[in-house]
Amino acid sequence: MRWALGARTALKRVPLDMLTACFDRRSGMTHLLAAPAPELLAALAAGPADIALLLARMGIADADAEERAGLEAHLAALEAAGLVVRA
Amino acid sequence: MGHSDSSDGARRPLSADRRALLRLGAAGVSTVVTIRPALAQTAASVLTCEIPVPDPARAGDFIAADGSLVPTDTPGAFRPSARPFTGEEVKAALTGRSLPGVDHQRSRAYTNYIRRLQQGTSGFTCYASLQMPRA
Repeated sequence: MRWALGARTALKRVPLDMLTACFDRRSGMTHLLAAPAPELLAALAAGPADIALLLARMGIADADAEERAGLEAHLAALEAAGLVVRA
Repeated sequence: MGHSDSSDGARRPLSADRRALLRLGAAGVSTVVTIRPALAQTAASVLTCEIPVPDPARAGDFIAADGSLVPTDTPGAFRPSARPFTGEEVKAALTGRSLPGVDHQRSRAYTNYIRRLQQGTSGFTCYASLQMPRA
């Protein structure tokens, strides 16, 4: 299972204190992202990746089951928001 | 790998913070909140919002063919509408159809009046809402 960023051409990002606001001009939706969502998007910016590669890009070695499950859940939330897609 | 300060001043590796944040996902903590524009709601309120012709404050005036307000019984001018028009009705009229219940000439005068609406005049917000592009 690989993940990739969704279409980004219409996204405008505005960093706020604890959040990142992400405005999608095409849909008019605003996504408020808290850590680690922005970091996940940054890790995917280098190209599609599976869980193992994503963890490596985030500098996390030997992730346990809970951390992997958490990453899957974060990716699922980003997918629901339309910000990432399964590649 | 960089380090970050935790609240007690001890330094922790960034990766430890990231691991903790990942675990939040497993705990069901949401890190993405999507705010959708209330377009559906907006559409409903726009279609039912009302535009009186003319503004009740000018209820004694007639409407000239070009949409301007003129004194009562001015020749060639039209009497005020008996009822306000809804956003949906005005939207249709702006594309060429007649306002309901009035003949074509009167409808054109009313429509011209509506096109001249300014902020502060009753119905302006409703009319301005009709101009908003849909996403």
